[in-house]
Amino acid sequence: MGAEVVTVSTDSKFVHLAWQKSEQELAKVKYTMGSDTTGNLSRMFGVYDEQTGMDLRGAFVINPEGVLLNAEVNFYNLGRNIEELMRKFKANLYMAKKTSEVCPAKWKDEGDATLSPSPSMVGHVHEALGKK
Amino acid sequence: MVESIPLKVGQKVPSFEIETYNPASEDFGTFNFEKAKADRKWTILFFYPADFTFV
Repeated sequence: MGAEVVTVSTDSKFVHLAWQKSEQELAKVKYTMGSDTTGNLSRMFGVYDEQTGMDLRGAFVINPEGVLLNAEVNFYNLGRNIEELMRKFKANLYMAKKTSEVCPAKWKDEGDATLSPSPSMVGHVHEALGKK
Repeated sequence: MVESIPLKVGQKVPSFEIETYNPASEDFGTFNFEKAKADRKWTILFFYPADFTFV
């Protein structure tokens, strides 16, 4: 899909290897597993926990121009919803191609209604969504 | 082009490189952010607390 997905924890690359090979749940994992043993990258994104030396559950989407477009951070006990992450990523990809359109709150996939902001739409978003 | 740490949405992400394990090739390597940009790729970073834990 034109994206590099990299998972990151402060574990070493050796621990990643051991974990991926021993945990059946990860047997099918193909994405790159990054190792931030110094915590420098994690601090850059604001997810490093100085008390524990571990990372919070953060997910970040960066476009090919290097701009950070999305950030989501959860505390340790809440897993992220992959569907929501994919929804955001697909929305970003779509809008990168159609720069005059924006994805409203209920947008899920290509083909769903979008909005093309203009002065005539001000105060009339309800009608704009209803027409499509 | 000075970014404040931590990064905010909308800011340009500075260059970075990170050591990696690639399960597909069973190999160690590095992920270079500049290279991903040069290849016109989106980068999705997914941070998590620790290997061998749950959720």
